[in-house]
Amino acid sequence: MSERSERGPARPSLVAPVADEGDHVSEPSDGRAGLPGQAAEASAGARGWRGALVARWRGIAVVALLAVAIYAPFELVPFRVFQFTMVLVYAVALIGLNLLVGHAGQISLGHGAFFAVGAYTTAIMFDRWDVPYPLTLPAAAALAFVLGWAFGLPAVRLHGLYLALVTLAIAIFLVPLLKRFESVTGGSMGLTLAKPAPPAWTGLAPDQWLYFLALAVTVVAVLLARNLLRSRVGRAMRAVRDNEAAAEVMGVRLAFYKTLAFAWSAMFAGAAGCVYTWVIGFVSPDSFAVTLSITLLAGLVVGGLGSPAGPLLGGLFVMFVPSLSQDVNEAAPGVVFGLLIIAVMYVAPTGLAGLAGRAARTIGRTLRRE
Amino acid sequence: MSERSEPAAGDAFLAVEDLHAGYGDARVLHGVSLRVGQGEICAILGPNGAGKTTLLRALSGMCRVRGSVRLDGTDLAGRSPDAVARRGVAHVPEGRGTFMPLTVEENLRLGAFARRGRGARQSVADDLDRVYGYFPVLRTRMRQVAGSLSGGEQQMLAIGRALMLRPRLLLLDEPSLGLAPLVTRELFGIVRTINAEEGTTVVVVEQNAHLALGVAQQAHVLETGRIVLSGSAERIQADEQVAQSYLGYRV
Ligand SMILES: Nc1ncnc2c1ncn2[C@@H]1O[C@H](COP(=O)(O)OP(=O)(O)O)[C@@H](O)[C@H]1O
Ligand SMILES: [Mg+2]
Repeated sequence: MSERSERGPARPSLVAPVADEGDHVSEPSDGRAGLPGQAAEASAGARGWRGALVARWRGIAVVALLAVAIYAPFELVPFRVFQFTMVLVYAVALIGLNLLVGHAGQISLGHGAFFAVGAYTTAIMFDRWDVPYPLTLPAAAALAFVLGWAFGLPAVRLHGLYLALVTLAIAIFLVPLLKRFESVTGGSMGLTLAKPAPPAWTGLAPDQWLYFLALAVTVVAVLLARNLLRSRVGRAMRAVRDNEAAAEVMGVRLAFYKTLAFAWSAMFAGAAGCVYTWVIGFVSPDSFAVTLSITLLAGLVVGGLGSPAGPLLGGLFVMFVPSLSQDVNEAAPGVVFGLLIIAVMYVAPTGLAGLAGRAARTIGRTLRRE
Repeated sequence: MSERSEPAAGDAFLAVEDLHAGYGDARVLHGVSLRVGQGEICAILGPNGAGKTTLLRALSGMCRVRGSVRLDGTDLAGRSPDAVARRGVAHVPEGRGTFMPLTVEENLRLGAFARRGRGARQSVADDLDRVYGYFPVLRTRMRQVAGSLSGGEQQMLAIGRALMLRPRLLLLDEPSLGLAPLVTRELFGIVRTINAEEGTTVVVVEQNAHLALGVAQQAHVLETGRIVLSGSAERIQADEQVAQSYLGYRV
C-alpha cells in the first residue's frame, strides 16, 4: 500500500459522488508520454529503489512494534494492560470500518451495531450453551458477516448522506431491540459472564492472557485485511470507490461488491465485539449506544482513513481520548472530546497516520541532506 | 441503410438497428442504425453534443436504450454494463476513467476482472506482457499510481486496460481529448497496430476527423442524434463539402 500514501487517503464524499471523469483531462501532455526517455527511466528507477527502502523500513517498524506489543504486558500494571487490550479490540473494529469507508468509499454510522452483534452472540453462546470461548469467535464473525450483507443491501441504492442516515437508524434501533428480548439478552441488566482463563502452562495472569488473545486476533485481522485489499476483490472495491461507471464497464458488478464491502467490514466488527465480551465479561445494551458508532467513525477519521496505520491510531484515540477528556473537564467530557477531534483534523486533515507519514518523510529528507 | 429489411443482421459483426437512447426525459439518439464488419475500424464523427458519447454508452449498456444492438448475433440492448463487458465489449470512456489512486498495474489487472478460474493467473500475466509490449512506458511506471501519469500515459493506460479484457469490440471515446498532436498520432498508430495484429473490431469517436479517418475503413457522421452521412473513410475524407459543413475543417 506504499503507493497509496503518495496521494493521501481517499475520502468518501458525503454527497452523492458525481462522475469524476474529466478532472485530469485538460492536463497538457508533456510530449514524452510514449517515449520512455532517459528521464522517465531514471525516475522510475529511483522510485523503485526508494520504494524498496521504504518497504524495508516499514518492515522493520512493524517487527519492532510487534516486539514492543509482546513485551509490554510484562511491564505494565494490569489496568494498563486492560486498556491496551481495548485499544486492540477497537483497532480490529476499525480495520473493518476502514475497509468500508477508506477503501470501498461508503459510509457507516452504524458500525457499533455489528460490534454489538458480535458481543451479544458471544455472550449468549456462553450464557445459554456454555460454548468454549474459541468457538464463539468464528460464530460471531460469521453472524456479523451475514447481517452486514443484509444491511449492506441499502448501500446498493443509497449514497453519501442517505446511506449515513440509514446506517445511523440501524444503530439507533439496536438498543431498544436488545432491551426488548429480555429472556435472551438479559434486557437492560445485560449478561455477566466468566472471562476466558489463561491455561496453566502459559503462566500468564488473566489480564495478560486476554491481551494476547486480542493481539492474536488483531494480527490475523491485519493480515486478512491486507490480503483482501490486494486481491481481485479488493481491487474491485477500490475501483468502485474511485469511479463506479468505469468499474462497471470492466465487468465489476456494483451491487455485489458494495454489499460485500459491508459484509466484510461487519465481520471485523463482529470479531471485535466477540473479543470485547471475552475481555469485559459483561454486555448491556447501553454499552452499544449510538455514541459507540459515532466514536468509531470519528476514531477512524482521526487515525487516518484508508491508511494501514489508521485503525491502530484510531483505536488509541477511541480508548484514551474520551477518558482523557473526562480528566481534563469533569463536567463536559464531550466538549473536550469534540474540540480534540476538531484540533486533530485542523492540524492533520489526513488523520494522525498522515501526520506520522509526513513527519517520517521530513526526517528522511533531513537525514539524506546530511 | 438499404438492408434494413434483413432480420438476421447479415454478416455484420456489430449491427445497430433503430437505436434510441437518452437520459431520463432527455432523448439524445433518435433511431441510429449502423453496421460494422468484423475486424473493421469504424469512426463516428460529428460536432459537440451530437450524441457520440451517448452512442458508445448505449452500446456498452450505460444508458437506457430502445432498439437493437447485436454483437456477433447476441442481443446486447438492455443488458447491464458489466454483462456487456463479460461479452467482450471494452469501453474506454470519455475522460479515460482510470482509477487514480490505484497503481498502473492494478488498473490493468482490473481490465481482466471478468476473467477467473483455471489458468486465469497465467493468462492475465501474458496479457500484461502483451499490453506492456504495445505501451512500453506503462511497464516503467507499473508501480506508480495512475494519478501521477501524464495525460497521454493515462490514455495509454485506459486503452491498455481495455485490451486486458481481450475485447471483441473496442469502443474508444475521443482518445485525443486534451493531448498534444504528437501523442495523439502515436496513439492512433497503436490503435491501428492493435487492430491489425489482433483483429479487434474498433468503434472510435473523434472530434479530430482527420486522424480518425486516417485509420478507419468506415465512417458515420452524427448530428443531433441522427446519422446524417455514412460511407467509406476515403469518400468522406475526399468530400470537401462534407468536410466543411460537418467536420468543420478544410481539406
Ligand atoms: N448524463 C447526461 N444527462 C443528461 N443529458 C446528457 C447527459 N450526457 C449528455 N447529455 C446530453 O446529451 C447530448 C449529447 O451528448 P453527448 O453524447 O455527450 O455528445 P458528444 O459526445 O457528441 O459531444 C447533449 O445535448 C448533452 O447535453
Ligand atoms: Mg463526447
